[in-house]
Amino acid sequence: MTGITKRFGAVTALDRVDLQVASGTLHAVVGENGAGKTTLMRILYGVFGPDEGTVKLSNDQVRSFKTSRDAIAAGIGMVSQHYGIIPALSCLQNLILGAEGGAILDIRSAETRAQTLATRMGFEFDWHQDASTLSPAGAQKLEILKLLWREAKIMILDEPTAMLSPADSDALFQSMRKLASEGATVILVTHRLPEVMDHCSRVTVLRGGKLIETKDVADTDAKRLAALIIGSSSASAAPPSDAIAPPAEIGAPMLELKDLVVRGVRGEDALKQVNLNVRAGELLGIAGVDGSGQRELFQSILGLVRAKEGQILLGGQDSTKLKAIDRIRLGLRAIPEDRHEEAVIEEWSLEQNSALGLQRLEPLSTKGLVNTSARADWAAKVAAKFNTKHGGLKLPMGSLSGGNQQRFVAGRAIESQPKLILAFQPARGLDIRGTADVYAAIRERCREGAAAIVVSFDLDELIENCDRIVAMNHGRIHQPSANESRDRDAIGRLMVGAV
Amino acid sequence: MFELLTLTIVLSAPLILGAMGGFTSERSGVINIGLEGMMLMSACVTALAAAKFGPVGAVGLGIASATVLSLLHWLATQVYRIDHVISGMAINAIGAGGTNFLYGKLSDPSHNGSISHVPVALFSWLAFFVPVILWAYARWTRGGLRMLAVGSDPDKARLMGVQPLRVRFFGLLATGLFTGLAGSQLLAYTGNFTDNMTAGRGYIALAALILGGWRPVPAFLACLAFGFFSALRIQLQGTALMGAQLPSEAWASLPYLVTIIALAGFLGKNRTPAGLGKP
Repeated sequence: MTGITKRFGAVTALDRVDLQVASGTLHAVVGENGAGKTTLMRILYGVFGPDEGTVKLSNDQVRSFKTSRDAIAAGIGMVSQHYGIIPALSCLQNLILGAEGGAILDIRSAETRAQTLATRMGFEFDWHQDASTLSPAGAQKLEILKLLWREAKIMILDEPTAMLSPADSDALFQSMRKLASEGATVILVTHRLPEVMDHCSRVTVLRGGKLIETKDVADTDAKRLAALIIGSSSASAAPPSDAIAPPAEIGAPMLELKDLVVRGVRGEDALKQVNLNVRAGELLGIAGVDGSGQRELFQSILGLVRAKEGQILLGGQDSTKLKAIDRIRLGLRAIPEDRHEEAVIEEWSLEQNSALGLQRLEPLSTKGLVNTSARADWAAKVAAKFNTKHGGLKLPMGSLSGGNQQRFVAGRAIESQPKLILAFQPARGLDIRGTADVYAAIRERCREGAAAIVVSFDLDELIENCDRIVAMNHGRIHQPSANESRDRDAIGRLMVGAV
Repeated sequence: MFELLTLTIVLSAPLILGAMGGFTSERSGVINIGLEGMMLMSACVTALAAAKFGPVGAVGLGIASATVLSLLHWLATQVYRIDHVISGMAINAIGAGGTNFLYGKLSDPSHNGSISHVPVALFSWLAFFVPVILWAYARWTRGGLRMLAVGSDPDKARLMGVQPLRVRFFGLLATGLFTGLAGSQLLAYTGNFTDNMTAGRGYIALAALILGGWRPVPAFLACLAFGFFSALRIQLQGTALMGAQLPSEAWASLPYLVTIIALAGFLGKNRTPAGLGKP
């Protein structure tokens, strides 16, 4: 790709960017949120064309793809950050869509081949189940299988490990390296520098829509890369200095769960007799492999699913039967897991989105009416909290990049006087600095007397940022023993149930 | 009893065909309230063409006329991005006003415009096969899978190399075919064209489709139920019910009443195609 320029309105997303990727390699593209990584990949995949510049494939054809269809025909496949899974279709239907192999579907042989591919990657699927039942990690895995199904020569992976457990990501990279050694080309867009250092051979750094540098991974190290990504001037501000700050004073219990039992989507007990205490000033991390019951735990605390047995106490008050809105009134705030499904309405403006979940609280609602001027002020405050890059508060949420949407969602929860913050992967899609900022802000609230619960699949992130860590496994919560409370291996064992 | 059965089949056939026309349109994501206008246009054109082109030619021209309207809907909603409901209302207006105009101008008073040579039974059989064929089509073919995908999420389908414009074109082509058949069947059964002879059947077909959760076989059953109550009404009209003489209007409202109750009671799980009305 040479001299790629792309403008969205007045914003220049990419400014004469060159990218050369050798076949048979794993090539990383790194940069901050809004650096233009995803835009560059979308141009390669033909989602939209560049304003200037050309795309050249190995067989000397110079063209830029007008549609994804052309790109697919040329052997390019992409797993986007926003999943391309259609929930109404079954897993198998999603897998074969667009590459069905004939006018009449041969379901049986398709299933056999799908199973072979899944086994090779170490994944497991119930092929005839609706894709709506997949967890985000499951959807991610299915996306990767879709590339293999199409036998893509050039695979673009946009943040592929954001939702995967460490073991799953390792397996993913193993198979990617295997595929690369068989001649496939993998382009990896990521925030996680260890992934780049461990698995990739070359790395391209983008910043603010400009190409900064392309290097051999062997010639650099994580520290120097981080400096390149952030830009030299602010490189020293990157490490999360707040993590070392003294822990806040522990106060009264904010959340108590007593023998909580909650049913999952298939009617099984997704939470089994869960007991948990979170006190004011505490930042609790919940570690665990995706699907261990974290989702049901959050939904039951938020009041979205009913508890089958047990009690939920918010600030000492029995809230088991309270509606979600009453829990919000008590100071419960969430940074939901699935940004698109649960946190924002993409067609709505930033202003409208800023009031989501808080719409009945003062001052956004005044005597039952929407107070638009208060809402505009509020939206500006939310956007400013984590430096959300946007083109105007009246523009639709969908005009923001994924990382910037996440900043906005995090800002909305943290700025609205929370007493208890529930954060599911709050750093999902955020770069190093964004992650540090969000955790620092959560800590700040804890010091002011709030409590926070963070679910993450990234154990290191939790160990770095949380006061206390518990592990979830198969719907149960396990406390590590006192002397192992920050021991990576001990918690890892609890996560997989090997006690 | 046998009479009731045949009457049920004959009365449900146009509804079934209409609902199937709605299926191929709505499942590919195009809201279609224009079924009524397409059926009416087909009935009119079939009647007008019967004298000159014979029964087969007349049915063919009827289908062609419904297809023209259907593709007009495609053009308006997909290429010019007009709101689906508004375009559908326009189709219905063209159907109502256009047939009135055409029939007044072109009908030949010496010929009553019936197509009695095409047996009504043929249409009835067709109406029983089409839902099963469509069910199999959606489940076992590439075209069917792509139709469902585009109807659920056109953007994601596009990323997988599917062209929503093309998929919807074929969906609406099929809508033209089925609504055209429905109009011809209606004419074949009634014998001659009268103004607004579809009398809301297009909407009933759409309601049956929704009642059936946008699935062909349940929608077929819903149409059959409606046809049954219409037949029952014809059979029972004028007879005393528990000693009381019900006015004919009360009988006439029976099928509609049952449809409304069924719609309200059985909607339950939301099965609306998620991509309905999305560009």
